[in-house]
Amino acid sequence: MHPTTTPAAVARTTRGHRTASSTNPIRHTGRRRLLAAALAVPLLLGAAACGGDSGDSGKTELSIFWWGAEGRAALTDQALALYTKKHPDVTFKKTWQANQGYFDKLATLTAGGNAPDVFQIDDNFIAEYAARNVTLDLTPYKDSGKLDVSKFPESLWKYGVVDGKLAGAAFGENTQGLVYNKTLLDKFKLPAPTTGMSWADFITWAENVSKTSKVPGTMDPSASYQAFWLWLKQQGKDLYAGNQIGFTEQDVAAWFELWKGARDRGATPTPDVIHEGNATDISKQLVVTGKAATSWVWANQMPELKKNTKDELGVIAYPGKPGSQWARASMYLSVSRSSKHKDTAVDVINFLENDPEAGKILGTDRGLPSNLEIRKLVADSVTDPNMKQTITFENELGKTFGPAPAVPVKGHSKVRSELVRVAEEVEYGRMTPAAGATAFVVAAKAAIGQS
Amino acid sequence: MSTVRTATRPVDPVGPRSPAAHRRGPGVARRREGTAAYLFLSPWLLGLMAITAIPMVLSLYLSFTNYDVLTPLSEVQWVGWDNYREMFTTDPSYWHAVTVTVSFALIAVPLKLAAALGVALLLNRSFRSVGLFRGLFYLPSLLGGSVALAIVWVNMFNRDGAFNSFLALFGIEGAPWVNDPHWALETLMVLAIWQFGAPMVIFLAGLKQVPNELYEAASVDGAGNWRKFRFITLPMLSPVIFFNLVLETIHGFQGFTAAFVLSNGTGGPVDSTLMYTLDLYIKGFVELNMGYASAMAWVFLVAIGLITVVLFRTGRFWVHYSDAEEH
Repeated sequence: MHPTTTPAAVARTTRGHRTASSTNPIRHTGRRRLLAAALAVPLLLGAAACGGDSGDSGKTELSIFWWGAEGRAALTDQALALYTKKHPDVTFKKTWQANQGYFDKLATLTAGGNAPDVFQIDDNFIAEYAARNVTLDLTPYKDSGKLDVSKFPESLWKYGVVDGKLAGAAFGENTQGLVYNKTLLDKFKLPAPTTGMSWADFITWAENVSKTSKVPGTMDPSASYQAFWLWLKQQGKDLYAGNQIGFTEQDVAAWFELWKGARDRGATPTPDVIHEGNATDISKQLVVTGKAATSWVWANQMPELKKNTKDELGVIAYPGKPGSQWARASMYLSVSRSSKHKDTAVDVINFLENDPEAGKILGTDRGLPSNLEIRKLVADSVTDPNMKQTITFENELGKTFGPAPAVPVKGHSKVRSELVRVAEEVEYGRMTPAAGATAFVVAAKAAIGQS
Repeated sequence: MSTVRTATRPVDPVGPRSPAAHRRGPGVARRREGTAAYLFLSPWLLGLMAITAIPMVLSLYLSFTNYDVLTPLSEVQWVGWDNYREMFTTDPSYWHAVTVTVSFALIAVPLKLAAALGVALLLNRSFRSVGLFRGLFYLPSLLGGSVALAIVWVNMFNRDGAFNSFLALFGIEGAPWVNDPHWALETLMVLAIWQFGAPMVIFLAGLKQVPNELYEAASVDGAGNWRKFRFITLPMLSPVIFFNLVLETIHGFQGFTAAFVLSNGTGGPVDSTLMYTLDLYIKGFVELNMGYASAMAWVFLVAIGLITVVLFRTGRFWVHYSDAEEH
């Protein structure tokens, strides 16, 4: 970002403007002066736009960039203010915005050599950034204890390791969560779905909900990579195996068939509604728009979903063996390799992750706190019933968590969008599950550069 | 005046020029005026250089590299024509995006021009509150390209949107329009056509320029409304039609905002709204394939240039300039 225009430059520019425009140029001013004025205006504007304040006297201004809603911004502001209170010579230049467009902006900032010192990133992009050396390797800081991850579950901080480098510090933990509309089910005296249901049982349950309540029982998750991934793990496969895809055409075809069956039985909405639900916005999830009784999300999104509906919500694990779910870093904090204040930046991350006061302020907004002691502290003090439910659910499920897979490879975000495209082709009936499977395997391989 | 005149001559929207332009000859004073004009233009010219020209040249260079946004420019690798080759041979979405864009332009542009001309003809009469109507019809264009409008469109044209409620009055069950791969692009076309205000205003200005004597003479000769339209209005208006056609064609090919908003930036449902510019955006900013996206941009520029040249060539056969006979 360009620093703000200095007042002096503005004044000069305005004056330059006035000489150039308020008098008849040819008669009253010489051509040369006119030329000077004409050249000066844009040059000054340019200079004003590029001139930064370089005079710092022991003070550090750290730029920090995250995505999220207003609520998150308020919490983050408070936590950062606390840091400044403890370290008066460190101030923050905070920038935040909605998730849509966040990564465009992060990429362009990086390209312009203005990467923020500290930024939020998720597992869709961390490999892209780490592979291109945008993120600072935090391993030395971890080893020296300047970045303390000793209270993190091991699989959680390791989920930030890309090619042997610690690219980001997990800033919150979540796992797959199936959110259902309690109010709707109660109204029709339908049983709630339960953790541990088989996929077939779940689809039968959803079909029954559709028939009784006339609201489709479940969103069709065939385009959801986290549902597909979990299902693969339950079949003993994986989304990725090293730098290769970890599944076969048969797996994809079986997955598409499973949901084609569910659609044919009326367990899901029509394809156009499924398409609406495939948008990543919280507010468009079908469980809150009332177009389906369940949505496939991440557990920490439950309180946010609740803000978009009057109905009571419940959360359970995805179907199948719950032990196959894993603790995923809902996001990370990373330091830019080009940062001029690397040590301070790491210290800020360490503070946000491990300071009890900061932890209490931040709560579970970004997922369960990574630091288990802070997590306990927050769980004891949290009042929001939906947050409470999420914490209980994740703690319960956490007991059976399997080992986390490696961070998705570079090209993962393209794999995700290809899954949406192909799954929708199948949903709209423009491709058979088998043809879709072939297309997806080709596209996924191309996306991650597997020959 | 003289430079401006030659530059815009073939597409002059206001029709015959004032006689004053012909009277003044070239001279020293005029040349000096020209220099002054460039000086006054310099803030814009420098801006053009910094914001448009230099990045354009840079993007031409990048189109021959594997630039991925995150890697510093100094480390990019020259890949020759690879990006261009990939575009025309292996990229599965490229030709799809071309098809979507061309069909969008082929259908939406003529219909939009027809709508603009039709309404302009209606509004060219004098009746009370004609000004109000002109304003109302122009209104959608003021909102042009806006995100808000695209969002309204999405809400109007989904399964339980206002449009289907309207159809339901007649017992018709509508499609889910924007969420239906068969109809999503058509919905975007309707949005584009509805924003016919800008060409309409230009048509109106052109219609005002048609001398009334011609119509009067035709009436005396017993010509009906259709013949007057066909043999007076259309030929007299042809430079304006041409101008609008060129402008709207270029505009049509560049459609981005509505497609982006409607599909959350994905080009969906199932790539049905994957316009060329949207595909380019996805390749460059989402997939970080900026070198490839730059190559796409240059092919796009050349293609639009060629289409414009073709339009100019064919224009010779049907565009009549009223001052052509004078020379």
